[in-house]
Amino acid sequence: MSTGKEFLKGFWSENPIFRLVLGLCPTLAVTTTAENGIGMGLASTFVLVCSNLVIATIRNFIPKKVRIPAFIITIATFVTIVDLVMNGYFHALHKSLGLFIPLIVVNCIILGRAEAFASKNGIYISIVDGLGMGFGFTVSLFVIGAIREVIGNGTIFDIPLFGSSFLPLLLMILPPGAFIVLGVLLGLMNKAEIRLAKRAGRQPLIRKEHDCASCAIHQGWFGLGSGASVAAKEQD
Amino acid sequence: MKEISRLCFVLTIIAAVSAGVLAFVSQETEEPIKQALLDEKLSAVKSVLPPFDNDPDKDTVIVRSGGLDYTVYRGRKEGEIIGAAFSVVAPNGYGGEIEFLVGVDPDGVITGIVVLKHLETPGLGAKIEDAAFLDQFKGTSLADTAVVWDTHKEGGSFKHITGATISSRAVTHTTARGLEFFAENRDAILDLGGDKEEESKE
Repeated sequence: MSTGKEFLKGFWSENPIFRLVLGLCPTLAVTTTAENGIGMGLASTFVLVCSNLVIATIRNFIPKKVRIPAFIITIATFVTIVDLVMNGYFHALHKSLGLFIPLIVVNCIILGRAEAFASKNGIYISIVDGLGMGFGFTVSLFVIGAIREVIGNGTIFDIPLFGSSFLPLLLMILPPGAFIVLGVLLGLMNKAEIRLAKRAGRQPLIRKEHDCASCAIHQGWFGLGSGASVAAKEQD
Repeated sequence: MKEISRLCFVLTIIAAVSAGVLAFVSQETEEPIKQALLDEKLSAVKSVLPPFDNDPDKDTVIVRSGGLDYTVYRGRKEGEIIGAAFSVVAPNGYGGEIEFLVGVDPDGVITGIVVLKHLETPGLGAKIEDAAFLDQFKGTSLADTAVVWDTHKEGGSFKHITGATISSRAVTHTTARGLEFFAENRDAILDLGGDKEEESKE
C-alpha cells in the first residue's frame, strides 16, 4: 500500500471512531467542547505515533507470548510523558481533560494499532499509520465536540455564536448528547458510504455487525428483506 | 525454563528503559508543574483581593478552626494588610464539594470570590463560576444586617441561578460561614492579637 493511502485510511475507510468504532470512552466523555476534542485527539495522536514507532522498531525483539505486556508498558510510558508535560506546560487543558489523559493507556485504538499494524510493519509506514489514525481520531473528536458545543452551549472555541436570547440545548453537553451526536454522525457516514460505494461500483465498507438489519436485537424487524437474510446467512 | 527466563529478560529490559525515560521526564517537568500550580493559585488570589504589592503565597498564616487547618493568604500594600484570601469548601453542592476562594478586606467586607473546584452540572450548577452570580457577594459583610445570607427563594438577599438552587444555596451558606471564620480569627489573620500569631508561627 502506498504511503498516502496508509495515511488517509484513518480519515474515512478505517476511521477509528466511525468505522472501527474503537476508543468510545474518551469520545463520549471529553467531547463537550471543540477544544477538548482537539486536545484529547492530539494527545492520543502523540501517544499513537510514539508507540507505533517504538513497537515497530523493537518488533523482532519482543517474544510473541509477552507482546501485550510489552506494548502496554510502552504505551503507558508515553501516556505518562504526555500527562506530565501537559500538566506542566498546558495546565488549563490538563485540568479540563483530567482523568482521561491517564486513560489513554486503555484506549483500544492505540493497543489495536500496535497489535494489528506496528508489530507487523516497518518503522516508516508505522509512523504514517499512527499519524493517519491519530489525525482521523482528532478530526472525529473535533467534529463531535464542535456540534455539541454549538448546540449545547451556543459557542465555538468559547466564542459566542448567537445572541443572548439563544437558549442552549443543555442535553447536548450532558452525557446523552454524546450518544445522540455519535449515533447521528455514524448513521450519516454509513449512508454516505453506501452512496459512494454504489457510485464506484464496489461493496460498502460498513461492517456487518454495524448494520441494523443484522443486529440480534432487530432480527425479524426487517421481515424477509434481502439485506437481513443475506447478513443472517453470512453470520451463520 | 529457558523460555521463561528469556521472556522475563525482555520484559525487564523494556520496563527498565521505560523507568529510566520516565524518571528523566518527571525530573524535567517537576519545576514547570510546581510553577503552574502556583500560578493557578496566585491568579485566583489576585482575582479576589484588591491590588497588592507583596507575594501572598509567601505571606500566609495557618489558622486552626474546627479541627481543620486553613491557609490564609494575605495581600499587603506598602506593608499594610489590605486583604486576606482563604478557601472554603461547601460540602452540600449538587454534584459534591464546591471549593472556592473568598477574599475579604480587613473589615470583613467581601472583595471577591472565585470557584476553584466543583462537580456541578455543566450549563446549570456550573454557572456558580460566572461573574453574574459571584459578583453579587462583593461588598457584603456580616456587619451589614440588611443582608440575609440565603437565596431569594428562601427569602434571602442573593439571586439564585435558575435551575440550580442547590448549588446557589451551598455557595451562599458557605460564604457566610467563611465570613464567620474570618471574624472569629480576625486577630490572628491580621496580626492584631499577639497570642494567636505566636501559635500559628510554631
